[in-house]
Amino acid sequence: MTKGAAIVNSSSMDSRRLHILLFICFASFVLLGCLSGCKPKKEGKIKITIWHQDRIDIRLVLESQLQKFMKLHPEVEVEQLFKETESLRSGFIISAIAGQGPEIVYGPADQVGPFQVMDIILPLEDLFDRAYLDQFDPKALTYYKGHLYQIADKLGNHLTLVYNKKLVPKPPTTEKELIAIGEHLTQDLNGDGKPDRYGLAWNYTEPFFFIPFMTGFGGWIMDDSGKPALNNPGTVDGLKFIKDLRDKYKIIPNESDYEISDLLFKDGKVGMIINGDWSWSGYEKAGIDFGVAPLPKISKTGLWCGTMVSPKGFSLNANISEEKKKWAIELIKFLTSDENELEAATILHTMPTKRSVLASSFVKNNDIMKNSEIAIDHGRPMPVVPELRAIWDAMRPSYQAVLGGYKTAEQAAADMQLDALNKIKEMNE
Amino acid sequence: MTGQKIKTKAFVAFLVAPAFLVLIGVVIYPFIFNVVISMSNMSLTHIKDWRFDGIRQYVKVFTEESKPNFYGIFLKTIIWTIVNLIFHVSIGLFLAVLLNQKDIRGKAVFRTILVLPWAVPQLIVALTWRGMFNYEYGSINLMLTQWFGLPAVQWLKSPLETFIAVIITNVWLGFPFMMIIALGALQSIPHELYEAADMDGASWFQKLKNITIPLIRPAMVPAITLGTIWTFNNLNIVWLVSNAGEPSDQTHLLVSFVYKAAFNFYRYGYGAALSMVIFFILLAFSLTFMRRTKATEAAY
Repeated sequence: MTKGAAIVNSSSMDSRRLHILLFICFASFVLLGCLSGCKPKKEGKIKITIWHQDRIDIRLVLESQLQKFMKLHPEVEVEQLFKETESLRSGFIISAIAGQGPEIVYGPADQVGPFQVMDIILPLEDLFDRAYLDQFDPKALTYYKGHLYQIADKLGNHLTLVYNKKLVPKPPTTEKELIAIGEHLTQDLNGDGKPDRYGLAWNYTEPFFFIPFMTGFGGWIMDDSGKPALNNPGTVDGLKFIKDLRDKYKIIPNESDYEISDLLFKDGKVGMIINGDWSWSGYEKAGIDFGVAPLPKISKTGLWCGTMVSPKGFSLNANISEEKKKWAIELIKFLTSDENELEAATILHTMPTKRSVLASSFVKNNDIMKNSEIAIDHGRPMPVVPELRAIWDAMRPSYQAVLGGYKTAEQAAADMQLDALNKIKEMNE
Repeated sequence: MTGQKIKTKAFVAFLVAPAFLVLIGVVIYPFIFNVVISMSNMSLTHIKDWRFDGIRQYVKVFTEESKPNFYGIFLKTIIWTIVNLIFHVSIGLFLAVLLNQKDIRGKAVFRTILVLPWAVPQLIVALTWRGMFNYEYGSINLMLTQWFGLPAVQWLKSPLETFIAVIITNVWLGFPFMMIIALGALQSIPHELYEAADMDGASWFQKLKNITIPLIRPAMVPAITLGTIWTFNNLNIVWLVSNAGEPSDQTHLLVSFVYKAAFNFYRYGYGAALSMVIFFILLAFSLTFMRRTKATEAAY
């Protein structure tokens, strides 16, 4: 063999080896991909997935209840997936439009509006028998455009006045008492000229937390026909009141978002906080001796500061198969059973939705539950129309501008209304 | 073509096919679909029955009288990108040059510490900085007032200060990338070049101008191009530090504006059109920048 032929032979051999090596690499990747992507299904099981946006302690209760359900029905596998509120909405819309998505979507009632308009959730009134639905408080059943789209297992998602019992022995019932207690609590403890403790804090950059002040002064976000009605005296007076709490009475921190106010309350640096039912278990864990009270009454109007109240519940994906639908209905019935609702209420202090559980001795006698129920009674149901999104977004900039000192309350109320109308027009174009 | 060559080409095609299929699935198809949506009226009320709507959404992007409008946000995005890039590159280069010095002890420790901002998840960085910018309890104001005797700044309440706050956060987050790239490029420069320059009596500046900069350019130009695109399209920091555009929707970049239009207001057609506009802006920038800087030319 000549030297040249040997080189050619050797190079062809190398090339063959390289090809074999590349092929092995390729085959390994394909195999690995299959092994990881094609996770074997649990033999013959029907899988139901729930998407929700509940915090960790609610998730734990849900998981234990799902385990019980799976024990009762070994042929079903249920998976709960947590998603942040906005990711849940946009993710569910995208997947459901594409014919996919979880079988059950769980959340506050205001998601029903956009989901219904996009036709991605099912009407439920024919899927559940009347006797079952009659067991619920009417506020738990979310109807939209004449059909039932959500069955709730929790009522509320509402704001209350949470107070540190060590600092506030008796919660205020009027705004004057609130200011008086706030002034008493706001103190410069180390003498550096700055308050080290405030009377009250809350996430006052977010318009959802402004609603109680608006309603207390007699306003509401929509008129009877469902159109925005933000330019009202309640909005103006509510804005002025919050500004006064900060600038005139100086009982709230200069800047306070959700995290800051929450931390201040947990650290005992604020006596009272306006927060929702979702926050109570966190305060319990932080070892704070706290009480819950409805938000105070406004003397000028004689109205309670009424929070927005929204049930939280289950809706069915419009793409659900008949076989899975049967089990999803069974699961919803299981999760809303008296036993499970009472368990959640006992552990989490969330308001149940079944009449029988609402009448239970725990709800009627527990101090937190009693006051929570009063706050719900003072509240107004959160509208489920998709336009609510535009209203929040129209309120936020002007609300913040008033607190930042760039707008008067009157100008802000007028701008909110104008912006809401424009945004609704853009949304519905 | 010989049988062997055909075989080789078929084999190559076979190997490339899966990657190409993935590319079609995750890049080409979504891109084409986005173009189609941008020419439709897809929105909350027309999500299933959407129809072709020509260039109406594009016209709206440029003419809609929203608050804030396209031009204001575009200007802000340009300022954001330029300021960030200037700081990323200058701080990154400066630190890389320092770390490239021979007589620095504990280089690995410094390098690790300096890379940390890049290693921390953006969500945590953004929320931590947001807390640090709090008026009363944030560490920034505490330092300003207690160490330097300066008045506290309302970082998150007025548009200008909030914009400065998000830039500071992103500068902190972005310089390690440039530092790592620059350090890698600096370390790849043969030391003999500097020795030869020393023998020729070259000054520090001459060495920087004639050796260092030309030789790190092929690494830095693509890094700057990438940095520009990432910064221009950085949703997380602006969205999280400013809490979705606060105060009063004044802290938006084009990309956060798209996000809001598409996912908060369900204006999918409009959002897709605006995202195409962003794409063309960045495409034009990248092509021009790469051509002008001759980034693809070999250094040696």
